[in-house]
Amino acid sequence: MKLTKTISALFLSMVLLIGSLGQANAAKRLHAAIADWTGGIITCEVAVAILEREYGYKVKQTVFPSGTGLWEAIAAGEIDFACESWPSYAEADSVMLNEDLIYEGKVVGSYSGDGSVDLLGTSGIIGLSDYWIPRYAAEEFGIKTWKDLNKHKAKFATIETGKRGRLIGCPVAGWNCHDQKRLDILGIDFQADELGTEAAAIAEAKAAYMRKEPFMLYLWSPHWFFGEFDMVGVQLPDHKVCDPDTFTEAGNWKDCGKKGWPGTGWAKDYTMNYGNPAVFAKSENAEAKKFFENMSLQNIDQAKMLVEVDIKKRPVKEVVAEWLDNNPDKWKPWLK
Amino acid sequence: MSSSNEILKKANHSKNIITYTVVALIFFIALFLSSQSDGPSKFPKEITDQFTFTAWVNEGEDFLKKNYRWITKIIANYIKASYYFVEDFLLESPWILITAIIFLPCMIAGGLRLGLYSLFVIYFWGATGMWEPSLQTVALMGLSVILCVFFGFILGVLCSQSDRFDNFMKPILDTMQVMPAFVYLFPAVFFFGIGGAPAILATMIYAMPPIIRLTNTGIRQVPDQTIESATSFGSSKLQLLFKIKIPLSLPSLMMGINQVIMMALALVVLACFIGAEGIGGQVWQAIRRLDVGWAMEGGLCILFMAIMFDRFSMAFSKTEERLPSDVQKFYLLPQGWAKYQVARLFEKPLSITHAIIKYICLFITNLIAYFFKSLISIFNKTSAENIREFISKRYYIIPSFLVFFLIVLVDTYFLKIGSFPEEWRLSIRQPITNAVESLTVNPGFISFAKGLRAFVYLNLLRPLDVFFTHIPWWYTMAVFVALGYITVGIRFAIITALLLLFIGACGIWSQSMITLSSVLVSVALCFVIGVPLGIIASYNERFRNIQNVVLDAMQTLPYFCYLIPVLMFFGGGIVSAVLATVIYSIPPIIRLTSLGLTQVSGTYSEVSRSFGGTLIQTLNKVKFPLAVPSLVIGFNQTVILAFAMQIVTPLIGGKGLGLEVFNGLARSDTGRGLAAGIGIVLLAIIIDRITLAWTKKQRNALGL
Repeated sequence: MKLTKTISALFLSMVLLIGSLGQANAAKRLHAAIADWTGGIITCEVAVAILEREYGYKVKQTVFPSGTGLWEAIAAGEIDFACESWPSYAEADSVMLNEDLIYEGKVVGSYSGDGSVDLLGTSGIIGLSDYWIPRYAAEEFGIKTWKDLNKHKAKFATIETGKRGRLIGCPVAGWNCHDQKRLDILGIDFQADELGTEAAAIAEAKAAYMRKEPFMLYLWSPHWFFGEFDMVGVQLPDHKVCDPDTFTEAGNWKDCGKKGWPGTGWAKDYTMNYGNPAVFAKSENAEAKKFFENMSLQNIDQAKMLVEVDIKKRPVKEVVAEWLDNNPDKWKPWLK
Repeated sequence: MSSSNEILKKANHSKNIITYTVVALIFFIALFLSSQSDGPSKFPKEITDQFTFTAWVNEGEDFLKKNYRWITKIIANYIKASYYFVEDFLLESPWILITAIIFLPCMIAGGLRLGLYSLFVIYFWGATGMWEPSLQTVALMGLSVILCVFFGFILGVLCSQSDRFDNFMKPILDTMQVMPAFVYLFPAVFFFGIGGAPAILATMIYAMPPIIRLTNTGIRQVPDQTIESATSFGSSKLQLLFKIKIPLSLPSLMMGINQVIMMALALVVLACFIGAEGIGGQVWQAIRRLDVGWAMEGGLCILFMAIMFDRFSMAFSKTEERLPSDVQKFYLLPQGWAKYQVARLFEKPLSITHAIIKYICLFITNLIAYFFKSLISIFNKTSAENIREFISKRYYIIPSFLVFFLIVLVDTYFLKIGSFPEEWRLSIRQPITNAVESLTVNPGFISFAKGLRAFVYLNLLRPLDVFFTHIPWWYTMAVFVALGYITVGIRFAIITALLLLFIGACGIWSQSMITLSSVLVSVALCFVIGVPLGIIASYNERFRNIQNVVLDAMQTLPYFCYLIPVLMFFGGGIVSAVLATVIYSIPPIIRLTSLGLTQVSGTYSEVSRSFGGTLIQTLNKVKFPLAVPSLVIGFNQTVILAFAMQIVTPLIGGKGLGLEVFNGLARSDTGRGLAAGIGIVLLAIIIDRITLAWTKKQRNALGL
């Protein structure tokens, strides 16, 4: 009984205290997701910082790992917007978007889903995925393209792969990279291992690089890894789609071998920002919607900030604020 | 007498031989069958096609989403509102107030030592720059614990009153504890939104079972005599429950709260995946950036927090038995040091301060009590006296509230205190990161790591994987059913068959066999490493004390923290998955080995020694057989933890059912995730029941 009384007393005093502390705040509010990879975090922080500085928004940010869960949260109105979705990896975009993706006036992709998520516009970042090996290995073995890989496969082998080489593959099956399929079509005698998370793949690659061991890694650029470690791409064949393009996952592929995906490399990823349709249809958010249509952060700028954040370990907010202060000519045009 | 003993022995002996032969025979048939098949064993396609469990679940989910979302939204809004209430309070209050709110109760309940420790914990949160995330975690955890205790207590009382309800709840509680949280974490987003509300609900699912169980057993264990005498004085059933049974079961309830706090902390970390803020999010971000030091700082914040809450709740539940502070000679140093002059000198000022503080507190409290008494005595004399007594007994708590109000006053009217001062920062990130990196490039350590990886993969994982996946499914099932029949009984054997059929029919047979083999390898490694450590600990008390601290840390540290070092040393893949599982699930086996061996009463080993038994003989022939029940419980818990870890290992390259859960969730296919999650639960439950029944038999045979 003593316990319950103490607790109730504590609770009552808390209520009193909060009464004295509470204050109302009436700013325009948005709720953004913070991505779980640094590039995405920076892109979003740029958008958030401009919304707060120039349009007087108060943006609440929540760390939310990207994936279908995030798309559902946006559709459900739990989160108002998120940044830098990569079309090659997103699962939900074809189901939930219903708009054209425009980059510098050109239509680079079109969607015909149910429109439960609003395509706010391109983020400006163009992503590219490839297989990468460290420069020291490329130079030591004389590997120039993917065609040279088979000769040196034994050096890339591990205990699990036996005689075949090991590719630290696309970490998540849901991303639809089809690594093993690609390797088989191209005749590269490697085994693609899915490690489950980007962190796992990068951790193994980083450790191998520190020990100067040869390894092959699937990765996308821009990525902080390239700022810290010297990697070269194996130059997979240029991206082509199978014609007629009947590839669906459910119907398994209509295999066209080396003539089309996944026998080729990835397409360029014109990344985009996306948000809740109801929120951005409100008149009070018209300015924000306009801003997102114009926003176009360049790869080179993101890469510079990536180095500051990930290698020099500076806080994201500070780095982005500094970039905004020093480069008004780059982002002022987005405000018109 | 001796002849009958001999016959018994012989019978036992021949029985042993038969058992071993049968086991060997079963094994060799399995080996033969698995070498005959040219691919992984597949469940008949006709059944898997007919049994579209995943589709049913998804249809059900869609139906619920369409029709019942408004209800869940209302619940979520209530929880969200109370969460923001607590969170805002914690984050917007001046830091000194928060410190006081945590420090003073710790001090009052646990003495100076716990008080100082709590100060250290608070300093650590602030110094590592995790002030806000730590408080968010505290808010999330506090609210979940309160809700868990509230509902868990009610359910526990209900369980204790009705055997039927108890039997009904048992499998549900098992499922709640073993079902991987990821399975319900993501669907919860749609129903309850993101952030605090679904996180709290998920935490409740996971953390409520211990309090239900302990309330139940606590009430059931109230001695019959007490109940008898209460009934003979004419108390009704309800009076009996509320006046006798529940008060008497309070210690057991407090233990339940302790467990709930620990489990809630474990899940609050996972909650970052659905947008709940707190230390979990920090640790996850650190891992994404491979910042071992940062992840470790976050992990230590949680670890220290957990120890603090653990000690606090323990101290709180023991208040009655604690020595009065007048008898207690020392406040900080061990009591035994009273014989040293230096220690006495050191403690002198402490006891004087204590006396002064106590005097002041008493004075103030009595003043307040007197004030209230005279105020109320205008209306009613007796209640005024009662209130005076009530207040003056709490001569530490009342002044504490005064301190809180004083701080708030100063903060609002005189001097803005704000959040934790930036200049007190102290980071331990770099040294930790450097240590891990230097190990990563250390040739000796890496060749050891590579050797271990090769050994585990070539000799344990690959053969066992192939073995299990290639045995025809009907054979594996038959073995399990037979085991169930021998150890538990015919009913359990039928249930086992049905459960395994379910796994097969869901089309996840080969994944579940992979899971089974990685669990077995992990448990075998735990056994090989854990039992010797337990034996050493049972002989050497100092070793045991150190080990206990390490084990506590291993169990409370979020497993995310050690995933990155494991990856850097061993590379991603199933070997890393197994090693991470070993780290996570080894503590119970070590603890219970040492517990079992130390509990074997001294007389037994004394007798054995006096008959000339050597140390090894005593251990082998006397102590071990007697410690078997405790060992099996340790083994059992290790198995359960290893199964629980299977859901995390896909993050670093693990395969099997855990990966299936992730793949289902990545495609927003709840049915697929749920089927795989249920698969894990069912395997764990089957193995758990069989081993428990076996221990019971062993216990009976030993007459314990």
